[in-house]
Amino acid sequence: SFLLLIVPCALKRNLSSEQVRADFIALGLSEEKASYFAEQWKVNSPTLTRLAVGQTLMINQLIDMEWKFGVTAGSSELEKVGSIFLQVNLPHHRVQLVGQLRNKLQPELTLPQFYSFLHEMERVKTSLESFS
Amino acid sequence: MAALRDGDFAALQILLKAPSKDAVRQLCQECFSSPPAALGPLAQRAGPGLAVSAEEAEQLVSALHNLTRHVVYRGLSRAEDILCLFPESFHQNLKNLLTKIILDNISAWRNEAQASQISLPRLVDMDWRVDIKTSSDSIVRMAVPTCLLQLKIQEDAALCGNNPVVSALTMELSKETLDTMLEGLGRIRDQLSAVANK
Repeated sequence: SFLLLIVPCALKRNLSSEQVRADFIALGLSEEKASYFAEQWKVNSPTLTRLAVGQTLMINQLIDMEWKFGVTAGSSELEKVGSIFLQVNLPHHRVQLVGQLRNKLQPELTLPQFYSFLHEMERVKTSLESFS
Repeated sequence: MAALRDGDFAALQILLKAPSKDAVRQLCQECFSSPPAALGPLAQRAGPGLAVSAEEAEQLVSALHNLTRHVVYRGLSRAEDILCLFPESFHQNLKNLLTKIILDNISAWRNEAQASQISLPRLVDMDWRVDIKTSSDSIVRMAVPTCLLQLKIQEDAALCGNNPVVSALTMELSKETLDTMLEGLGRIRDQLSAVANK
């Protein structure tokens, strides 16, 4: 109850363990207990920070990528085709006004499009890594 | 896809009334490209030029449609294969002309058939952006890179006619999600190479 208020507040304001200790003393805790809590804060804040970041708003978060590729063997207009198709399924969260709907998107890609997509995603990875 | 029928070759000989070889060529192309539903109007347009009745024009257009589509369906690419479709009694010069026209157009027609195949929605464009998240309501300071990916998907072109429906979706990917996705894409690439090398 009390702690549930302190922790998010400390996270939001990015408090150091020294500041947490000072706050606890100001709230009436003994020095010993305040130091103990400050120590716990120091140890656990990276995890708590990560959790808070994880709760940050995401737009239509991609959940998964499913794929299949195959060969189009024939069609009503061509007895023998033999062309490769790649079908990708990208389940993602889609925020609606009422609740959240899990929505699916299933585009088909040609081979050149696939290689281009792979190339672009590798560029994104390089970009994300340079900012980490 | 309609198959070649017995009466088709008789109807094809109506082409002997065509004003020129170019007219025949033009008609062949139109008959191939036209979907079955549009053959009626095509016959009405072609009839006057050939000085034939409406009924004869319809039979001709239908026959030409069937012949060209049949050749493309079977993937016939040699003159001999196409020539032997015609009955013995068929007019020699017309047979040679039609075979030549078909051979000239076969690869373009094949591409046309392949392009208009039924398909699932197609990816038409893809854009991305990398943002750095600096704060949020749950944490005041951070530096978290994230990727926004926008895919433009077009519904089956054949269903939409001249107004294809394109929908755009923007999704967000964390670094972890991206890594997983790249892993999956890499596996696809490996499988494609394995198939290509067989």
